[in-house]
Amino acid sequence: MKVKYFIVSALLLLVFSAFPQDNLYTSYSIPDDLLENANAVVRKSSIDITLKSASEMHVIEKRVVTVFNKQGDDNVDAIVYYDNNERIIELQALVFDAFGKQIKKIKKKDFKDVSAVDGGTLYSDSRVKYLEYTPISYPYTVEFISETTNRNTAFIQPFYPVNDYHLSVESSSYNISYPQGIAVRTKEKNFENLDLEKEELNSSISFKVKNVEAIKPEDYSPSFSVMAPRILVASNQFSLEGVKTKVESWNDFGKWMYHDLIKNTHDLPAGTRSAIQSLVEGETDDIEKAKKVYQFVQDKVRYISVQVGIGGWKPFNVSKVDRLGYGDCKALTNYTMALLKAAGVESYYTVVYARGSQRSIEKDFAAMQGNHVILNIPQENGEDIWLECTSQKLPFGFIGDFTDDRDALVITPQGGRIEHTKKYEVEESLQTIKGTCNISNEGAIEAKVTVVSKGIQYDDKYWLESETDRDLDTHYKKRWRYINGLSIDAMVINNDRDNIEFIEDVSFKASNYSKIIGDRMLLPLNVLNRNRHVPDRYRSRKLPLQIKRGFKDVDTVEIKLPTDYKIESQPKNVSIENKYGSYKMELEIKDESTIIYNREFIVRDGDFPKEDYDGFRDFYKEVSKQDNAKIALIKK
Amino acid sequence: MRILTMVLSLCFVASAFSQNYKFGKVSKEELEETVCSIDSTANAAYLYKYRKSYFEYIQGEGFVLKTEIQERIKLYNQEGFDYATEQIRLYKGHGGSEEKVSQIKAYTYNLENGKIIESKLNKSDIFKSKASKYTNEVKFTMPNLKPSSVIEYKYEISSPFLSNVDEFIFQHNIPVKKLEARFDVPEYFNFKVNIKGFLSVVPKVENERGSITFNNKTRTSSGQGLSAVTRTNYSTSKVDFNKQVNTYSLENVPALRDEPYVNSINNYRSSVKYELSYTKFPNATIETYSTTWEDVVKRVYKSSSFGEELKKTAYFQKDIDALISSVSDPAERVVLIFDFVKSQVKWNGYYGFYADDVRKAYKDHVGNSGDINLMLTAMLRHAGLNANPVLVSTRTHGIPLFPTREGFNYVVTWVKLPDGSVTLLDATNKYSVPNVLPFRVLNWQGRIVAKNGGSGLIDLYPKTKSKNAMNMMVKIDEEGTLEGSFRSVRTNHRALSFRNSYNGADKDAYLEKLENRYNGIEISDYEVKNDKELLKPIIESYKFVKESQADIIGDKMYFSPLFYLKTSENPFKLEKREFPIDFGYPSITSHRVTINIPDGYKIESIPEAAAIRLPDNLGSFQFKILSRGNTIQVSVTSQINESIISPIHYEALKEYFNTFIRKEAEQIVLTKA
Repeated sequence: MKVKYFIVSALLLLVFSAFPQDNLYTSYSIPDDLLENANAVVRKSSIDITLKSASEMHVIEKRVVTVFNKQGDDNVDAIVYYDNNERIIELQALVFDAFGKQIKKIKKKDFKDVSAVDGGTLYSDSRVKYLEYTPISYPYTVEFISETTNRNTAFIQPFYPVNDYHLSVESSSYNISYPQGIAVRTKEKNFENLDLEKEELNSSISFKVKNVEAIKPEDYSPSFSVMAPRILVASNQFSLEGVKTKVESWNDFGKWMYHDLIKNTHDLPAGTRSAIQSLVEGETDDIEKAKKVYQFVQDKVRYISVQVGIGGWKPFNVSKVDRLGYGDCKALTNYTMALLKAAGVESYYTVVYARGSQRSIEKDFAAMQGNHVILNIPQENGEDIWLECTSQKLPFGFIGDFTDDRDALVITPQGGRIEHTKKYEVEESLQTIKGTCNISNEGAIEAKVTVVSKGIQYDDKYWLESETDRDLDTHYKKRWRYINGLSIDAMVINNDRDNIEFIEDVSFKASNYSKIIGDRMLLPLNVLNRNRHVPDRYRSRKLPLQIKRGFKDVDTVEIKLPTDYKIESQPKNVSIENKYGSYKMELEIKDESTIIYNREFIVRDGDFPKEDYDGFRDFYKEVSKQDNAKIALIKK
Repeated sequence: MRILTMVLSLCFVASAFSQNYKFGKVSKEELEETVCSIDSTANAAYLYKYRKSYFEYIQGEGFVLKTEIQERIKLYNQEGFDYATEQIRLYKGHGGSEEKVSQIKAYTYNLENGKIIESKLNKSDIFKSKASKYTNEVKFTMPNLKPSSVIEYKYEISSPFLSNVDEFIFQHNIPVKKLEARFDVPEYFNFKVNIKGFLSVVPKVENERGSITFNNKTRTSSGQGLSAVTRTNYSTSKVDFNKQVNTYSLENVPALRDEPYVNSINNYRSSVKYELSYTKFPNATIETYSTTWEDVVKRVYKSSSFGEELKKTAYFQKDIDALISSVSDPAERVVLIFDFVKSQVKWNGYYGFYADDVRKAYKDHVGNSGDINLMLTAMLRHAGLNANPVLVSTRTHGIPLFPTREGFNYVVTWVKLPDGSVTLLDATNKYSVPNVLPFRVLNWQGRIVAKNGGSGLIDLYPKTKSKNAMNMMVKIDEEGTLEGSFRSVRTNHRALSFRNSYNGADKDAYLEKLENRYNGIEISDYEVKNDKELLKPIIESYKFVKESQADIIGDKMYFSPLFYLKTSENPFKLEKREFPIDFGYPSITSHRVTINIPDGYKIESIPEAAAIRLPDNLGSFQFKILSRGNTIQVSVTSQINESIISPIHYEALKEYFNTFIRKEAEQIVLTKA
């Protein structure tokens, strides 16, 4: 990392008007390397944060963005959120044509103003003002200025100079100043290949970065949020909805969360308490108790998100969840925790980043982080148990790809600590297929198959349980889409939640499965699990290879050959082994009319340099090719 | 057998009688039901759905439109919980007038140990928010849900927007067991009723008497000076009137389920829409809104945002005069003006047939569909052409079955040349050309609005087939690697959709995407011709290498003649189909492939030629193949001749796809010589 420190003793006074340089507004003055892969370029951006006290934060944001095409329109990013604590003081956008001539001015009142609820939220008191602008031609440039003041200081916006793919940055700066007696901590991430200037004075810190090239998304790469350059910023004293606190470490942070946000919400009504106590009566094993409580929760509550005031940070009271039967992740996790306590089982509220890409809470930076809450049940011997409390479907202890394999903040009455959530290993994420197929003399197929899925492969399928027959029928036709004219005869689904196994029994048929050519018949051997996925090809791969989760498939399929035919020639057995995984295909001739097709396909999770991408892609290509292997039969 | 029928019908009567639809009278039977009796796949069902809309006279304010809603919903499982959240959208006008909701009452009912337990929705759990400038939103979700819960709520909406009676919707994505609806219309209002959907829904219409009571207050003073007494007299007067009462009563309405290739499922949803045709208040003249298509067109034409905007010419006169001064051919003038509008004014994404302000749109270079196409029409007229606007309902908006203004949401331009040829234009899309309208517009018929306010219909589905003709010259080697060149010619909508995704995209990224669409084919010498010359077909060509295109087993090679271009998946997967299949436009797709086989091999067999046809000349498929020496020539053509196909041909269409997919997959066999 190249970090330049400047120690300047004079106080810098920042005066905010429009940026002085005129050439910022013309679209033709951008260096070529910033144009590559870019839909838009941030010409200049500055964020100025003044922490006036632990309970007043003032933010001025100015940004000039040149947009080159329709896909880049969103990168203007002229959006401001506000609520009861955060007020918008000033908001303005100016639009310039390619030559830098101002063509439009949009004032605060002309911004669209809507409620900031998304599809999954019933209510939120957060609102948003955004610019709605139809470009007349490309390229164009927008200067956006906003000024806000906020009584919540728990979240200090990070320095996040590039927030999207296909976006480059000419120059971006960030400054935070703070009063005596308040300390501000920062943490830099992913600036290894960039020139970051850092300037630290006794009451302010500033950063500046220049010439950040655009990156484009690539298959099997780390997620954007994990690899983007970012500086986290936090103050050791902050205020949240009027509650003030002082935090130096995760331990402090956890203590604060437990004592100020969680502890006093545990007002479990007596009726429910005794219901829980009688539910677990006679049970001595804590895990068995917890299973019963989890089932109780799943039967009683559902996920509905409501965010009002401090409720955006603090869970609903337990009594409220008990009465309403719904809540968001905080409310439902906290409710489960209170019920477990009533059952005599200890559990901890845990903050994570949820989503398919395994983003961790920053271990060494105690500050507001995460976007989701789950529950941790500590185990003395063996792996901790993690509960996803917003799902009414997931089995006990199963968190799937939503929160697996990442660092999370576990909050205990004694303080907070970082722990790693459950990782689904390759061998655990197992799909086993056992099938029998009959091929007729006309080339028609009748197949019966049992598919058993575990681990992450369970996660991929458990939702099928609640599909209607019509949708399930379509689902299987899509799963085996390479078989034309397929019709399903029977489908039986068994979701074994105790063993966390998903079992599908399906039978189907299709005419013209194998091709008849004169006296020959060409029979594709892999009926039930053909890999047709090949990772995208890149002329020059830029990002490292990341396989986020591994899996293992084992298929054993007995194929009855048509009576009038015998084997003319068969493909050779295959065995491939490499750092990405392995593939084995073996054909067993049981008797003259029966063959057994054995296949094992393993992909291992891991991080590899970008040079390995082609090898990984070749592996998949080879698997696709082998999965297409055919046996040639000839009339007896 | 007879006895059984008797018993069954008795049961039915008995159970029908046990239903009590009064608010709060939820029965044990309703709570005990675990599977919906009329649809076993339903996650939830309306047990009872009630709506009454009527006009109430409020002294000092006049009439207000009131709507009472009462709904009882059974939730059979957790998937059904989605139906336990109610969202009430309330409109706000410009001048502070707005819809209001009141009297919200809601309960969840559960059966616990044989007892009915009710949970009330608290006021504090009802959320109000300002969704946008013109909408408020009231939302609530029901407490304490369990699979098998019954929820019930009711509320009242009071609206000052008298001509805007919300659609009565009779069919939902879940079944409805019992539905009652009622609309009371005082004699001063006359509404037109528009019924749509696949169910037969007929209102019962009766007349009733209604009355309005006015409270009058008069003050009188008597006496003088200090002894004066002021007295207030209260009196009432009553005005009687007739009202028309429309009632609907439906039972066991099936759920409406979406199907692929349906332009908008709402076209098939059963509903009734009341549209105000005129008002006639005492001592006032008739004010018409709409009754026939002619009225609709006249009203639209008369409105200031349409007819007036169409008349304005001053803002563009100078520019247009200069533009066309040297061109006198009418057809050329059309093209010039059309291109001018496309380059000058960008569409802001808003639909509508009214203009916001054509002059402003022209000046700011941005407008809605009304601004742009009315401006275009006015300019064409100014240039001496016979041009008219055409009202359109876009694909997602549904089919305009009845004469209403709300049936339309968009406008395009019609122009007739002196030679009698007719052209449709839409300047909202940069790549649209005369008679090739954006896909959103291809929906049934549009209504031409003539200068005198007269109207006529015009078919919006294109007549000309959109073509994609592909040519390939390839060489396959003994490893199964394919090398060759590809060239395709696209016309009309195929060209339009190509330009929409290609023009303006990053060329490298586009190419990478194309390569990955065919699982990593390697492309070189990629070239696109006429991407900017909109009146010419798109010509795309490239050279390529693609591995593993043949099965090599023993001394034989097997491959299908279209290689990676063959159709591999039937888009029609459902066993049954209820609604028409809407392709949007007729099309023709052809492949001509010349294959050179590797040295040392000879052709052992090739598939047979074949032809299949859809009934009623809806489409056809042709497969021809020839081999000569080391070369094989294949020609495959498929065409769909209609934009929209009736569901009675679904089976045939599905089988047609199956057959041609099978045919395209047939193999060529080569043997080592």
